[in-house]
Amino acid sequence: MTQIAIWGGALLLLIILLTLFRISRLVAVVSEADKKRETNANKINAALMVGFLVVGFGITFWYSYNYFGDYTLPVASEHGVETDRLFWVTMAVTGVVFVVTSILLFVFPYMYQFREDRKALFYPHNNRLELIWTIIPAIVLTLLIGSGLKTWTDITRAPSADAVEFELMGYQFAWRARYGGADGVLGPYNYQLIDKVNEFGLDLTQQASLDDFMPPEVHVPKGQEVNIKIRARDVLHSVFIPHMRVKMDAVPGMPTNFKFTPTMTTEEMRAELGDPEFNYEIACTEVCGRGHFSMRLILVIDEPEEYEDWYAAQTEKTFLDLNPSYMERVPENLREVALISTGVEPEEVSNVVELESTLN
Amino acid sequence: MENLQTQEFTLRPLPTPQDEVKPTLSMHPHKFALWLFIVTVIMIFAAFTSAYIVKQAEGGWDYFELPPIFGINTIIIVLSSITLHWAYLSAKRDNLQQNRIALFVTTAIGVTFLIMQIIGWRELVYMGKFFTGGNASAAFVYVLTAVHGVHLVSAVIYLIVMVVKALGFRVHSKNMLNMEMSTTYWHFLGGLWVYLYLFLLLNN
Amino acid sequence: MATANVALAHDAAHDDHHHEHKETFWNKYVFSQDHKMIAKQFLITGIIWAFIGGLFSVFFRLQLGFPNADLMWLKPILGRWIIETNGVGQLDPEFYLALVTMHGTIMVFFVLTAGLSGTFSNFLIPLQIGARDMASGFMNMLSYWFFFASSIVMFSSLFIETGPASGGWVIYPPLSALPQAVNGSGLGMTLWLVSMVLFIASTLLGGINYITTVINLRTKGMSFSRLPLTVWAFFLTAVIGLLSFPVLFSAALLLVFDRSFGTSFYLSEIYIGGEALPNVGGSPILFQHLFWFLGHPEVYIVLLPALGITSEIISTNSRKPIFGYRAMIGSMLGIAFLSFIVWAHHMFVTGMNPFLGSVFMLLTLIIAVPSAIKAFNYITTLWKGNIVFTPATLFSIGLVSLFISGGLTGIFLGNSAIDIQLHDTYFVVAHFHLVMGSASFFGMMAGVYHWFPKMFGRMMDARLGYIHFWFTFVGVYMVFFPMHYIGIAGFPRRYYSWTTFETFQGFTDLNMFVSIAAIVTFSSQLVFAFNFFYSIFRGRKSPVNPWRSNTLEWTTPVNPGHGNWPGEIPTVYRWPYDYSKPGAEEDFIPQHIPYAQTPESNLPHEQELVKQEEADAKANDEIVVEDTNH
Repeated sequence: MTQIAIWGGALLLLIILLTLFRISRLVAVVSEADKKRETNANKINAALMVGFLVVGFGITFWYSYNYFGDYTLPVASEHGVETDRLFWVTMAVTGVVFVVTSILLFVFPYMYQFREDRKALFYPHNNRLELIWTIIPAIVLTLLIGSGLKTWTDITRAPSADAVEFELMGYQFAWRARYGGADGVLGPYNYQLIDKVNEFGLDLTQQASLDDFMPPEVHVPKGQEVNIKIRARDVLHSVFIPHMRVKMDAVPGMPTNFKFTPTMTTEEMRAELGDPEFNYEIACTEVCGRGHFSMRLILVIDEPEEYEDWYAAQTEKTFLDLNPSYMERVPENLREVALISTGVEPEEVSNVVELESTLN
Repeated sequence: MENLQTQEFTLRPLPTPQDEVKPTLSMHPHKFALWLFIVTVIMIFAAFTSAYIVKQAEGGWDYFELPPIFGINTIIIVLSSITLHWAYLSAKRDNLQQNRIALFVTTAIGVTFLIMQIIGWRELVYMGKFFTGGNASAAFVYVLTAVHGVHLVSAVIYLIVMVVKALGFRVHSKNMLNMEMSTTYWHFLGGLWVYLYLFLLLNN
Repeated sequence: MATANVALAHDAAHDDHHHEHKETFWNKYVFSQDHKMIAKQFLITGIIWAFIGGLFSVFFRLQLGFPNADLMWLKPILGRWIIETNGVGQLDPEFYLALVTMHGTIMVFFVLTAGLSGTFSNFLIPLQIGARDMASGFMNMLSYWFFFASSIVMFSSLFIETGPASGGWVIYPPLSALPQAVNGSGLGMTLWLVSMVLFIASTLLGGINYITTVINLRTKGMSFSRLPLTVWAFFLTAVIGLLSFPVLFSAALLLVFDRSFGTSFYLSEIYIGGEALPNVGGSPILFQHLFWFLGHPEVYIVLLPALGITSEIISTNSRKPIFGYRAMIGSMLGIAFLSFIVWAHHMFVTGMNPFLGSVFMLLTLIIAVPSAIKAFNYITTLWKGNIVFTPATLFSIGLVSLFISGGLTGIFLGNSAIDIQLHDTYFVVAHFHLVMGSASFFGMMAGVYHWFPKMFGRMMDARLGYIHFWFTFVGVYMVFFPMHYIGIAGFPRRYYSWTTFETFQGFTDLNMFVSIAAIVTFSSQLVFAFNFFYSIFRGRKSPVNPWRSNTLEWTTPVNPGHGNWPGEIPTVYRWPYDYSKPGAEEDFIPQHIPYAQTPESNLPHEQELVKQEEADAKANDEIVVEDTNH
């Protein structure tokens, strides 16, 4: 019943609109409004131009000012401060241009709306003016490029040797992190070795791989340079840490990296925002399929001491600790090293290996 | 009011029809269009060869010797350009008999070139350089030769059309447009192959 | 030269022959070789696509603005793309991606390339340069029918089991290469590629024709320095298309090989669906380079025709010459050239060599200079004009506003350091929808309102045009301006939902606002559709030159036949922007009026040209005599 009412109402509205349209056309024909050049429509449109300008600017400034905190993210990395500064400098420059050109663009139509008794100024060119608005934008842009280039070069410089390093691997649809373990060296990997458990394709024939661990959360220390080694194992992904101003694509077959220095711990940020639930998050910004919007990983920034503690605790939970069955992949000559680093008794391992093989 | 602008000014005598169709550029539009088409083909191959260079620079590249048959084919295609030019000149001099022979010979050489290219692929396969599954360096050779080959097939078809035209006495000094266009296209594809061959030779 | 003349004479005879052809429905409306009819075919196909593409955006805006709404009522249209969770109908996340992909593809290629450039290049080039038709009517017809075939293939991909392509309109591999990664990369992607190959063929056929026509078939006196800016824009657009679309073809061909033949151009070290693929050594970045070598010029393929149309309309309706005609041409040449060397600014954070990033940042910001010149010139053209607000004028002024707003945000994104944070966020979405999407759309609308009388011999209703403009203009700003804030806050694009992240919890109200604005804006396009189709049949009859414009198309009859001018093609004596010339009686002097007839308004150097005109006329007469003797 309501549906009929809605459709009926819509139909009625349509008929009314059509009738209004027909009447307005008839009126226009009778009054010969279409033939006149100086019309009311002209005045109305000219006024609307200025109206649009005033209301538009009003809303823009009101929103930009009042909700500043809503749309600006706090920054927690060293280079982020720089890029934010660049952003706001560019905003100031372009903002001025935007306001000035918009005013001219909407006020001129109002000022110079058609009048039968006036003739437009025949003004085909002025080389000096052209030169001015070629050179001034060129200079302003050069300045912007200059500061941008410097920041960009700093950001993309190779990470220092003592940087904290971890690997971030993207797949459909999550991020996984890997740390170098007790020796601090990320072991080599091979995508052919990937399976359900060995998500990284860790090459267990290499000593450096034996103590690698993959924590469920990423921890890094505040105030130290952090280098993320980034890779993907199926399609393109992109690491995005909004508060760190970090973004870099993860490309299958082509490892990338991004370095940054965090300046605020998670706790400090919680205090500043007054939000005890706050967490730094890692997201994906390169479309990667169905679950693109759900690739969330928590990043924790610790005080350096806390970080050391956490790291030490994690070395007890290496890949081999959690998946002792993979011990059989470790060649004989490295087994002992592996056993020492995992702290698993040799007998246990052989039992597990046997068990696994019988299960398989 | 609205008719004002057309009636207010009386036009002086208008140019004659001969004048009117005289184009601003003294090249036949179809010929010009052919040149534009050649530009698009150049862009296609520019893309492929740049991709080749970029890919090669990334490392992991499998370098290998090209089968010698591609070298022989380079000579063959240069030869075909010469015979086609012979066809062009004889058409210009209204030597219709020679024109037919030369067109036919060129077509035959063109077909030979295509067959030899396929033999070249077979040799690549014997060398263990496959289109699929292997290194991109081999796949690129297949792609470059195949895309060039497809264009050459179109040129051979054009030549066959020319042979038919020539048999019907429609290629002579007063009707050179198609002769000129087919010659241009053929020379271009010949030159393109020479470029591709040298490119592959220098990069492998 | 003898050969060329013979052939041309033959062509001319052929042309005359055409007029005697009996016009059937098929060769008049369907397989027409008349550039005006082909233009209308492009336009109407483009409008239909615009509604489809717009409708898609409404669907995904419903998801973004009202994530918890029950969309069961869309089930009859979308079928199993509406999934039921907890009794609430929701858009399938993969279908969401498919919608985004199709919206982009349709709008960029089918609406703003074919619908805009295809329509107006076809319609205006011969009419404005004084030619009977395109260089090759047959190729022109083929161009449309390739586009039509491409449309059919793309449209059919909407209805297949696995859904249309859903890897984004940029179809980055490996996502677009692996059906295991997303369903749309199966048959949907294959159809996408087939459709694009047909589309490329269509664009190239069109482009070759446009360039040939502009270079070869200009009427007497129509030198390049007297060409309307529209024709300049279409010409440069065609040149850009000719150089960039073949590269897309190459990129797509290699993708086809990777997808279907197991080559490794773009694929490397992939483990997906529980198995490791054999492909080694491919590079996804290579595809991005090739794609953006087309992709960035494509932005200008879309934008330049709109700017050309705007130049013409703003000048005509300000009753004032376009300011800096030569600077306008110069800046278009600059943009056309620079558009080819800035592509990698789309790839700052893809892992590309950072030094390349610096180079491309430099080049990218340089392209802002010619764009700035254009904007300032438009504003100066309005200054001290005598502006008539036709709907076309409004849309043109709207275009300039959008061009400025969207162009300025480009300065942020072109700066690689700032781009790190903004890349692939809603800031980018806002930027290109304003500067490329909306600005070009406004150019297209301006063109439709302005040349409708020439196309159909009738006028569109101005009042409905005003309503359409204000709803669209305000609407477009309400949709895309708030996206800047959402983008600055870091919201990534192509997200189905925000709820997973604490960082992206805000802005539910703003997203809802944007969605409502989008729906209103889309609905207001129905006003245009009504006006357009109604006016074709019932609009007021158009006068010969309704806007009192200078260009040649208005010297044809109201309904020009095939061949455009019933008599001779007029000769051109002056540039197209002699509006409000001091001393002249009217506020415009069309291009075909010789200086000899306007002594009262001639500038000193133009007075010199009068003698030249007389000499030319004499020389012409002699040639005629010679020819008749011959």
